[in-house]
Amino acid sequence: MVSTSTAASLEWLVGPFSDDPGIDRKALAGLLVELARNVEPQFRAEPNGVYPIDPRLEQLRTLLVGREIEVLRRLSEIVEDPEQLAVAVGRILPTAIAQVSNDAQLGQVLAPALEKATQSSIRSDPRTLVNILYPLIVPAIRKSIGETIDETFQSLNESLKHSLTLRGLRWRWEAWRTGTSFAEVVLRHTLVYQVEHVFLIHRHTGLLISHVAAEDAVGQDPQLVSSMLVAIQDFVRDSFSGAEQQGLDTVRLGELWLWSEPGPFATLVAVIRGNPPEGLHESLRTVLSRIHDERPHALESFDGDSSSFADVEAHLRECAAFGQRTPRSAERGFPWLVALTGLVLLALAGVGGLRWWQNERAWEHEQQLQEAKQQIWDGYVARLRAQPGIVVTEVGRRDGKFVVAGLRDPLAVDPQLVLRQAGIDPTGVISRWKPYQGLDPEFVLKRLQASLDPPPTVTLMVEGDHIVAQGSAASTWIERARIAGRRLPAGGPGLDLSRLHDINEGAIGKLSEAIRSHDIHFNFNESLPAPGQDAILDQLAKELTDLASLASSLHVTARVMLTGHSDDAGNGTFNLSLSLARAEAVRALLKKRGVDPDLLAVRGAGQLEPLETASSEAARSANRRVSFKVGIEEQ
Amino acid sequence: MTATLQKKICMLGAFSVGKTSLVKRFVESIFSETYLTTVGVKIDKKIIDLSDRIVNLILWDLAGEDDISSLRMSYLRGSAGYVLVADGTRPSTLEVAVSLRRRVEADLGPLPFVLLLNKNDLREQWAIRDEEVEELQGSGWWVQSTSARTGEGVEAAFRTLADRVAR
Repeated sequence: MVSTSTAASLEWLVGPFSDDPGIDRKALAGLLVELARNVEPQFRAEPNGVYPIDPRLEQLRTLLVGREIEVLRRLSEIVEDPEQLAVAVGRILPTAIAQVSNDAQLGQVLAPALEKATQSSIRSDPRTLVNILYPLIVPAIRKSIGETIDETFQSLNESLKHSLTLRGLRWRWEAWRTGTSFAEVVLRHTLVYQVEHVFLIHRHTGLLISHVAAEDAVGQDPQLVSSMLVAIQDFVRDSFSGAEQQGLDTVRLGELWLWSEPGPFATLVAVIRGNPPEGLHESLRTVLSRIHDERPHALESFDGDSSSFADVEAHLRECAAFGQRTPRSAERGFPWLVALTGLVLLALAGVGGLRWWQNERAWEHEQQLQEAKQQIWDGYVARLRAQPGIVVTEVGRRDGKFVVAGLRDPLAVDPQLVLRQAGIDPTGVISRWKPYQGLDPEFVLKRLQASLDPPPTVTLMVEGDHIVAQGSAASTWIERARIAGRRLPAGGPGLDLSRLHDINEGAIGKLSEAIRSHDIHFNFNESLPAPGQDAILDQLAKELTDLASLASSLHVTARVMLTGHSDDAGNGTFNLSLSLARAEAVRALLKKRGVDPDLLAVRGAGQLEPLETASSEAARSANRRVSFKVGIEEQ
Repeated sequence: MTATLQKKICMLGAFSVGKTSLVKRFVESIFSETYLTTVGVKIDKKIIDLSDRIVNLILWDLAGEDDISSLRMSYLRGSAGYVLVADGTRPSTLEVAVSLRRRVEADLGPLPFVLLLNKNDLREQWAIRDEEVEELQGSGWWVQSTSARTGEGVEAAFRTLADRVAR
């Protein structure tokens, strides 16, 4: 290819030169001679001998840049010829647009042109745009209609909800049994209809494309009918200018409905007997839409030859199958059903009545139970209020539970115990008690009893607003009681000790006095009692035994101190041990006489506690002795 | 359903040219004539058995109007051809037919059509000159004289039209 094209170019170049003024050949020859002289100074050739037109130069040029010349020639050809240029640009236009598609400027540049093109397209034939938009608009409309239908269903459902007719109950039963909504069942029964004829009519010519009739449907020549339908629709459209674009969608003739669903090229007309549901519109539109999707071109160019539309019949047959017949079971089983329904209703009514009566009884019972509970509770609260040391501040009911709150002295009765005694379930009661100290005489009494721990011989009791102590006690206890009485809060009940006897002042006092009055005498430097004192010791032993038993009966402890003494003759230390020995001897003698040794304590006083201070022999003799001292103490 | 060819044919003519009675005997009809006065159109069907196929001419019998401006053009839409009817005893009806043809051709373009000159049984009252008819034939019209009473020429006219529209 290259060689041939080169040959062709050579011919073009070598040929006539007159119209190729591009090169001053003479100047070129001079330049070449100059170059030759630079290489070979002896070169003598003159450029003058060069012809202005030299085929060899042209050959040289062709050899050097022949291909480039050819390419340039072709390019200039394309650029200068509008047709060729359009072809070339058209070849790259999609790619070019794709390259700049992200550039916002492209959209701005193209928008006005596209708008104008669309406007002119609509002006010349609006149907083109309608056909383009049809697949978009129809689903949108369908959706909106679907929603409307749903709403209708809902409102129907609501309106029928409270209809308690026999039929309504039967349908409710059916809905429950089949697991469908009540509204669906109602529609199934009320909307009894049958599509009898379906026509697919070419819009432009009004000619029938296809027709299907239900098995038992009677009808006239469908070709005539379809044309007449179109004629009537045209008539309506022309007669009422407001309905320019809409045809006659729905016609009702007694029991017959005529539903027309227009498509871009064909209209689907259904003749329906009965009461069709709104949803049938949608079903018809779906079929029409499907037919359009399958055969758009055949529909558009329909010229009256319907032989190629045999397959459309299947779609139409689908429409003709739409229908809802009266359920046969309802007719056949009519008397039984009514009887059965009656029985069921009666049974339901009976059961309902019984239930109602039972409910009434249960309610009454419940009321009585509640009243009884309330009474028991009121009793409990009243009892609490009566209790000393309990102050009820709040009574009520909350969340089905009884509530009681207030102050409670820790010594007061336990409210939980009272609750159990009242027979109230503690889990149904909320109790809140705050501790406090009550000034009720009973509590003061209790507190005194706890703190004073009175001996059994003492009785503390409430008398009026006073606490009274009765009986007898050791003086130490009486002293403690007096201090406690003084510490009682002012204004509260006081402690009256006036009726309390000091046991020391009674029998035990006399006995102690008797024991104290005795002395056991000793001879000089002897640790055993002087002879002739056994009677005194016997007397002492008897009195000490009586003291012990009396103390025991008075719940006090008696202690008897035996103190030994000496005269002032001799060494003090010796005298001290001698005196102790004398006391020990007496204790032993008393023990021998049956006295509890634990009762007796001994000590030696030596010569330090003389009975007589004179320095005579008589005084010394009197000082040699064992003396007795009695102490009564609380147990 | 028979797989036949259907063609829409409009029948036009001035008032009381005998259009309806002309075709009555030859067509299948289910609609009463009251449609003409109410809706302005009545649909009939003429089945033509051509040698190779059956053509069903769906005839849109448009109500006769002397004033062609009141013609419902929407009824003409989609026609494959048309029939003009004039009363041979009333020349004005031929004028109406001529203007109707002009009107239709302006709207639908050139379509096969036939002019029926009706009431040719009333020869003594015939008022259209042969020259006029020849002139029309000369400009491409196909003219057929018919009689609603005898039925003469009707069948032939439909057959020829069917042949032309089905071509």
